[in-house]
Amino acid sequence: MGILDGNEAMNLAALLCYIAAEAFAVAHIRRDRDALGTATTVLLLLGFIIHFGALVLGAKATQTVPYNTLPGSMSLFAWMLVGAYGVLLLIHREVSTGPFLIPLAILFLAVSLLMGTGRPLMSDPRLSGPLFAWHVTIAIFGYATLTLTFVLAQLYLIQMRQLHRRTMGLLFARLPALDVVWGLHRSAALLGVVALSVATVLGLIWARQNWRTFWDAKVAFTLVMIGIYIFTLLAPRLGLGGKRTAWVSIGGYGLLIFSYTVVNLFITAEHVFR
Amino acid sequence: MTPPSSSPLLLVGWDFRQTPVELRERLAFSPEKVKEALGQLRQRGLLSEGVILSTCNRSEVYGVSGPAVEGRDSLAALTDFIADYHGLPGSEVLQAGYRHSGPDAVRHLMRVAAGLESLALGEDQILGQVREAFRLASGAGATRSVLHRLFQKAVETGKRVRSETGLSSRPISIPGVAIELAQKIYEDLSPRRFLILGAGETSGIFYDLLLARGAKNITVVNRTLARAEELCRRGGQAAPWEDLESQLGKADIVVSATSSEEPVIPLDMAKKAIHKRRGQPLFFLDLGIPRNVDPSVARLDDAFLYAVDDLQEIAERNRQERQREIEPALRILEEELEAFSSWFNSLAVVPTLTALRQKFEGIREAEFDEPLARMVHLSEADRKKIQVMASSMVRSLLRTPTEAIKDEPDPGRRLDRAETARHLFGLDRDP
Repeated sequence: MGILDGNEAMNLAALLCYIAAEAFAVAHIRRDRDALGTATTVLLLLGFIIHFGALVLGAKATQTVPYNTLPGSMSLFAWMLVGAYGVLLLIHREVSTGPFLIPLAILFLAVSLLMGTGRPLMSDPRLSGPLFAWHVTIAIFGYATLTLTFVLAQLYLIQMRQLHRRTMGLLFARLPALDVVWGLHRSAALLGVVALSVATVLGLIWARQNWRTFWDAKVAFTLVMIGIYIFTLLAPRLGLGGKRTAWVSIGGYGLLIFSYTVVNLFITAEHVFR
Repeated sequence: MTPPSSSPLLLVGWDFRQTPVELRERLAFSPEKVKEALGQLRQRGLLSEGVILSTCNRSEVYGVSGPAVEGRDSLAALTDFIADYHGLPGSEVLQAGYRHSGPDAVRHLMRVAAGLESLALGEDQILGQVREAFRLASGAGATRSVLHRLFQKAVETGKRVRSETGLSSRPISIPGVAIELAQKIYEDLSPRRFLILGAGETSGIFYDLLLARGAKNITVVNRTLARAEELCRRGGQAAPWEDLESQLGKADIVVSATSSEEPVIPLDMAKKAIHKRRGQPLFFLDLGIPRNVDPSVARLDDAFLYAVDDLQEIAERNRQERQREIEPALRILEEELEAFSSWFNSLAVVPTLTALRQKFEGIREAEFDEPLARMVHLSEADRKKIQVMASSMVRSLLRTPTEAIKDEPDPGRRLDRAETARHLFGLDRDP
């Protein structure tokens, strides 16, 4: 009980760090001061570390992986979102997209906290072991990075629309240039494609050992999704403009949501874990 | 008629608002003249410190009054000197300018540094000019503690206003707007390929601007190749008009300023160029009148077309936005003015001497009165004698610094000495 309380407190502390980081990120948009950008990054890193501690503590307390419960998987997803954003920050050193990306992590972590501890989803003993754990964890990281591509594609379209319509307010002034947003999108899409590909390969190896077949609807949808994101990465070579590519990317994310919800619940024969 | 100033801080100036350009030209100071005039002002005892700010829009003399003007109208004396120096009639110079002293002079300098007094509201150049004016005066040995602190504060205020308000954040000139727009498509312009159509005056302005921004890849296409080659003498390449279509497919940013009656870039040509660029955005800046680029190009997804009217409209909107930032800027200004005034007022002779006396009395109480109270073996008469001796010693110690401050005839030097005393004896520190 004591450990669970500590876990809740750490989750709450991480949430507060993310909220504070978001506040600083918004302030950075309004008042273009480097100190505000630095404060955002520091708070985000602090939240990320505390959040990691909370996930470890929670896993120890429940004697299972975070993704074995719905709140746990949401919290892990939120942590992965921050991690993926951190990777983009390291690559591009661009903090101005923070206010649009951090709220996603806040939302998922807050909902997971409101849901409490949750019931274990997987009782089948085959659903344990490092191969399965890596498959799920890397897949969640892939979903997190593709969630960022979804937001970045929208930011690209917003900035493009502002340029076409000559609406040049605060958002226009503070959002980075089209080529920077597109660079961020490309990096996120590339990370997502790599992560989902690795997760799929690991999943297929696991499936070969544990299922009658390693092929089901979820795998098919994931491969289509990977194909779509590879297409967005190759779009410039194929002569597809930024606007169309952004819409393809958004469509890819729509498929991801479909795969995560409808396919998981109604279509797949094997990806049902009880 | 301005009343004689009671403050030693003075300003006389002439700017674009009040002074006709012909007179402003004659009141301007070159760097050499700045040094010479400041030297004379100090030699004649009109100023003990001085800084001259001379730009194309203003000539201003800031100073701390000298011994020769004590009790006189120091602002009038300063104005007369400037008129004499430039060989102009005193009355004309007097009527065409403005004169401030004390906090009003400080406020004016802060407004200038913040860009609130500039022709283009919030422009950045003036801050560098204020800094340069102070550097020049310091180099000529014409500044001491007061103007040093004043100009330091003014520059700080200018920076604060720029970073904490939107007064300077959005460009208000056509080239500034054009560059901002281009940087919203390609953040780093230096590696981008620029294509300039036409080799006239407007093209020349943009060519210079792009070179100044570090553009490395500029191609100028003109109907007369020789004129394009002439424009490119400082960098870039000239190409014949026949190459326009092929050059368009390679360019990231197109600046068009030809005098053609018909669009030189029709829709089909733009479409082909975008197709060649494999979806990479193409930025068109159409500065031609009539327009050089078919307006329907703006409807292409990866083309961004801006004509002169668009840029003017954006510049006007930005100007209005800057106007809205005046109030927040003024709030910052008043905060900084208060901070400076509080420091400056502390330099006045009476508060400095009072603080000095209190400091010494405090030391006397701590070092004599308190130990004396513990020496119970002393008689009351002995105690009194020791107390008198201690008081007498404090008076003797204070006499020299008090006289040095009080009896200094030069007001600027007097402030300097007060500042030194405050610093040496830690009068601004808590006891």
